[in-house]
Amino acid sequence: MKVMVCLKQVPHQDAKLDINSDGTWIQEDNIKFEINSYDTYALEEALRIKDADADTEVVVVSIGPDRVTQALRTALGMGADRAVHVNDAEAFGSDALCVAKVLAAVAKAESPDLIFTGLMTDDGNSSAVPPMLAELIDVPSATGVLHTEAANGSLKVERELEGGAIEVVELPKPCLASIQTGANQVRYASLKGIMQAKKKPIDVKTAADLGVSDVASKATIDKVYSPPKNATADILSGSTDEIVSGLMGKIKELGVL
Amino acid sequence: MISFGPTEEQEMVRDAMRDFAEQAVRPIARECDEASEIPADFLQSVWDLGLTSTQIPESYGGGGEERSSVTNAMILEELAFGDATLAAAATSPSGFANAIVDQGSEDQKKTLLPLFCTEKFHAASLAIVEPGAIFDASRPRTVAEPKDDSFVLSGAKTLVPLGDRASHFLVTARNGDALDAFVVARDAEGLTISEPELNLGLKGLITVGLELERVEIPKTARLGGDAGADVRRILDGSRVALSALMLGVSRAVLDYCVPYAKDRVAFDEPISKKQAIAFRLSDMHIEQEAMRLMVWKAASHLEKGLDVSRVAHLTRGYCAEKSLWVTDNGIQTLGGHGFIREHPVEMWFRNARTLGVLEGLIAV
Repeated sequence: MKVMVCLKQVPHQDAKLDINSDGTWIQEDNIKFEINSYDTYALEEALRIKDADADTEVVVVSIGPDRVTQALRTALGMGADRAVHVNDAEAFGSDALCVAKVLAAVAKAESPDLIFTGLMTDDGNSSAVPPMLAELIDVPSATGVLHTEAANGSLKVERELEGGAIEVVELPKPCLASIQTGANQVRYASLKGIMQAKKKPIDVKTAADLGVSDVASKATIDKVYSPPKNATADILSGSTDEIVSGLMGKIKELGVL
Repeated sequence: MISFGPTEEQEMVRDAMRDFAEQAVRPIARECDEASEIPADFLQSVWDLGLTSTQIPESYGGGGEERSSVTNAMILEELAFGDATLAAAATSPSGFANAIVDQGSEDQKKTLLPLFCTEKFHAASLAIVEPGAIFDASRPRTVAEPKDDSFVLSGAKTLVPLGDRASHFLVTARNGDALDAFVVARDAEGLTISEPELNLGLKGLITVGLELERVEIPKTARLGGDAGADVRRILDGSRVALSALMLGVSRAVLDYCVPYAKDRVAFDEPISKKQAIAFRLSDMHIEQEAMRLMVWKAASHLEKGLDVSRVAHLTRGYCAEKSLWVTDNGIQTLGGHGFIREHPVEMWFRNARTLGVLEGLIAV
């Protein structure tokens, strides 16, 4: 079995983010990056399949500049077998559909039995790429997956629904699942894994190598900014009844209900 | 030129250990200190990272990867940033195993190294420190007398890490005028292992004392066999490792104190605005950087196979003194919060003090 895992390298959760000079993105120089947290759960889910079946091949795929190599090496250190790095200036930072097109081209070349992605990314938060990718390569998909169980011809998944409900879905292979955080306990890269990672192959490609063109973003970001701080918060005090009564008054006053 | 830039691989190792330290080490540190024990599942989880087995040659069952003293110093700093007690326990088997890899006879390698290449945590320890005043690791009071085809060991050791569960001890002893080390199994006749010692810091580590009362061991138990071994090299490595642990503790203190000082308001402003605090934090930072440079230099000398005894001794001395100074000033920065157990700084202070004496007095 072959499992393809899509990874995105995003700014580290502890990185101090500043807006760039033209106000359209963050300054990426001199900040630390890491694998998108959702994607680490997707990788772990794939590695568990490999733990159970040593014949499984786990291929990690990422789009981005040279720095993405480190994220891929980390994934290889955790146990993935090989990596595909799409190092293409147009594809990097493109909109969800173009990113999905590039990943679809990789998926067509790799013909995986399963594709795992994170539910969303820590930076973009769109959740759009996984279902778009599934649609482009015409495979069934499930989002918000908390548990997977791979059988011979299918993948049974448990999806998280609103209100804590769980939906159980069985997808015929090949298929795609976008994994929710908390689906598993993500392993640490071992010392042995990291040292062996340098011997594992990373296949570097451009969009053209994959036969995809016109991958530049169709969406443009007009402005990125931090929400302005203001001092308009009202802190309600008193007993619980007084606070609830005060809150109800405020809601009525604002006319939001 | 000298480069202080870590390699890509070292960065990956450091990041992985940092994650592990933050998520798996720090959260259980206080509990281990209070209970004076380490959960077995923690030792197993750190074993799964392959810190010991990865650098053992493949022919003995290990991972066969090249060992880097600089990378190992980074690993120790990161783990000790999480908690020095747990870091010392987790890496204790490596001290024993690395000595066998580097200087063991072929028989010793074949017999002992596979113990560290299984999936289950395995403890074995260096036994270097001795009770009594003015202990000098290079001139132990423990003696080894040759007798026919054996050696007879007599003496005492203390602060032996994980001695409650170690299968073997590498005991340093004087053999005539020479300094030697001997592999002693825990069930050797004449060896008495004490109850866990009650220490000021590193309380979870479980250290024991060893009484060696005419322990007779075969000549083949001498490290390196007939050729003997360069035990000073083992002491050098141990000193660099201890220094890296003390560096990690110091970084933990600084990392805790800076946000505390920015958050803690006294006299209508954060105490970080007070020069007395700001200058102190700045000095703590300088000392931490100085410690790291010395640790990296000593580790680099070890890695290159250079004579490192002087550098290792200076490094250990500096780190012992300055880590105590940093942790003491951490307590001072936190004021009353510094010595209550709701905050970890008092624990780090005790740990730094204990690390500073783990191989005897600095003055010797």
